[in-house]
Amino acid sequence: MLMPEQMNRIVIVGSKESMKQTIDVLYQSESLHVIDFSSEEQGFSLGSPLPESSDASKKLLKLRALEKDLELPNTPMKETVPVAKVRSELDSSMAELDKELSSIVEMRSKAQSRLSEIQTEKRSLEPFFGLDVPLELYKGYSTIGVSTGYVRSNPTADVSKVSPNADVNISKDGKFVAVFYPLKDATEVQKAIAQNGFSEVPAPIGVGMPRDRVKQIDEESKKLETSIEDATKKLDEVREKFGKMVAASDEHLSIAVQVAETPLRFGTTAHAFIIDGWVPTTDVEKLRAALNQQVGDKVFLDVLETAERFEGHAHDTSHIENVDYGKKDETPTKQNNNKTVKHFEFLTEMISTPKYNEIDPSFVLALTFPLFFGMMIGDIGYGLSFVLLGALGLKKCKSKEWRIIATMLFYGGIWSMIIGYFMYGDMLGMPIEPVAGELSWSTVLHTNIDIPFVDDPYNKLHDVKMLLFISLMIGFVHLAIGFIIGIYNKAIRYGLKHAMMEKFSWLMILIGGWFLLIYVLDMLVTPLDSWNLPLFDLYLYISLALIIPGTIIAYIGEGGGAILELPGLMSNVMSYTRLAAIGMSKAGLAFAFNTLSFEIIIDVTGEVDPLMAIIALAVFIVGQLMVWILGIISAGIHSIRLHYVELFQKFYEGGGVMFEPLRIVRKITSEKAGE
Amino acid sequence: MADLGLIAIGAGIAVGLTGLGSAIAEAGIGAAAVGAMAENEKLFGKGLILTVIPETIVIFGLVVSVLLWIKME
Repeated sequence: MLMPEQMNRIVIVGSKESMKQTIDVLYQSESLHVIDFSSEEQGFSLGSPLPESSDASKKLLKLRALEKDLELPNTPMKETVPVAKVRSELDSSMAELDKELSSIVEMRSKAQSRLSEIQTEKRSLEPFFGLDVPLELYKGYSTIGVSTGYVRSNPTADVSKVSPNADVNISKDGKFVAVFYPLKDATEVQKAIAQNGFSEVPAPIGVGMPRDRVKQIDEESKKLETSIEDATKKLDEVREKFGKMVAASDEHLSIAVQVAETPLRFGTTAHAFIIDGWVPTTDVEKLRAALNQQVGDKVFLDVLETAERFEGHAHDTSHIENVDYGKKDETPTKQNNNKTVKHFEFLTEMISTPKYNEIDPSFVLALTFPLFFGMMIGDIGYGLSFVLLGALGLKKCKSKEWRIIATMLFYGGIWSMIIGYFMYGDMLGMPIEPVAGELSWSTVLHTNIDIPFVDDPYNKLHDVKMLLFISLMIGFVHLAIGFIIGIYNKAIRYGLKHAMMEKFSWLMILIGGWFLLIYVLDMLVTPLDSWNLPLFDLYLYISLALIIPGTIIAYIGEGGGAILELPGLMSNVMSYTRLAAIGMSKAGLAFAFNTLSFEIIIDVTGEVDPLMAIIALAVFIVGQLMVWILGIISAGIHSIRLHYVELFQKFYEGGGVMFEPLRIVRKITSEKAGE
Repeated sequence: MADLGLIAIGAGIAVGLTGLGSAIAEAGIGAAAVGAMAENEKLFGKGLILTVIPETIVIFGLVVSVLLWIKME
């Protein structure tokens, strides 16, 4: 359970005619992690896609174009479509959709382009509103020149000086002119208007007065807009009718293309193919049997080797040395966890995929991540709400990110309740049992509550020293777990000697550190004689006897850096004090709100005004909600941080390759067996 | 004890200033880590680890403050 599953390197060889059947079997078994065939192999070439690939690709291309026109929303669908239905209706529904869609889309795009065309015309007409000249009069002369455009000042006087016959029409606001003049005077007239800051606006083509034309345009625009709306409505209807089928067909065709293109990862000769890959050891016989049964004896599966976890010596390749199947790829990691631990794999994945030959830390995360979360919350009330919310999330949520948050809330909530009950006796930031001179649920409810199995629970704000001490102890244990896993990993990969030098030495230093801490506490803080620890007088010597040889071995094993890391180890242990500190800060915040509600706004021990009670309740709820949210954020982040930074650094390397077998992932289509 | 208040102030300063120190150090690293994550989401873990390295500073501050606090009692 702790190590990733054992893998076998296999090779499947067969004649090309049975390639399609083989591929089907491989996709059904979902147990082969294919290694892409290296194209440089002599005598082999990369496989070419199955013949159905081109047909499926073409259809998919067409479908994607239709999807673009259809403006299909990207929302996940609840129901699935049976594959058989997709297969049988694919061609007919696509043809029908194409027909319906093309007329709508064509109509709409025509209307849209016409609309933008007449809107442009309207804009070009606007300057001519000020002149009462029909549009046809601006064009079509052989002896008369026309200049239309904006001016800064009135050019009438200047123009009549150079061309007495010229006719200057100027708009009422004096900014726009149309000058008609004999062509022979053209140069002079243009000079004259240029002096008045003329900038030309060519006259539009058309008939009638500009205002009438604009009216026509407005009417046409309205018509076009309605027809665009109609088209959009029709498109919505078509989308409603075909949307699901289109999305399902898209998935179906994508899968078909994916399957048909699988041979691109194989090596082929003229008549045979070869597949190279990894299969979990437990699945090899199943795969062999499936191939034999469904494909027959034209395909042959051979196990080349079982991937070793040991890296200390070179691989024994004598049995495969004559046939070199490309460079040795890294063995993929298939995490091997039970259902509960699987929830935590994503947290491991956030750092890195575990290597094939190291312990998958997900199980440690599953054990201590919720425990630390619970330590920091330590409250029955919050814990209960986390459990409920987490259970809801685990049931409803699909995305990985939300699922991990739900996992954290659910399991962390359970620990919060346990620790909140047995260790702190707290609910919503208040102790349940009566405490002298303090607000508690017993004083709020005016009854003496005595919770069973618990006497004298810790108070997060008063027993700080004890809680800090407990946190440090947890730190020692947690780091020791880290080093022990480290020893195991190193022993598996490089042998026991390496493990002793690199990890056991650190475990010695850590344990020595524990003895030193107890000794220092006894000397400086408070005498610990009452604990009756065995050999208590010798703790200083025991610690030195562990730390000094430990440091020397680490120095030999890792070099000078080991000595520099000693203070690092100390700060790692100290880092666990956050377990107490976060709980303390949340407790302080909740304490403030509770005091405000039950002692300052209303005094629960005396007379209570009902109106003030409502205000007090409101303050209580808002305050608790704030503590609740801050609690999730800080407890979650700090708990995961303790694992990533303190624990994982002790043993985890990561950087493995995820096991990705050939398989079909269906989201909106469903396939029943035998279809 | 007349110096009690001074010790308390000292303990506060020890945590407060080291906290500021960690914050200043983490600000730069955190910004860079988020930048790196934007390019490659897989760097989240490494980014987080690098970002919290300066937290050691405030932990040492906390140790000093706890030692002072023990003196007070």
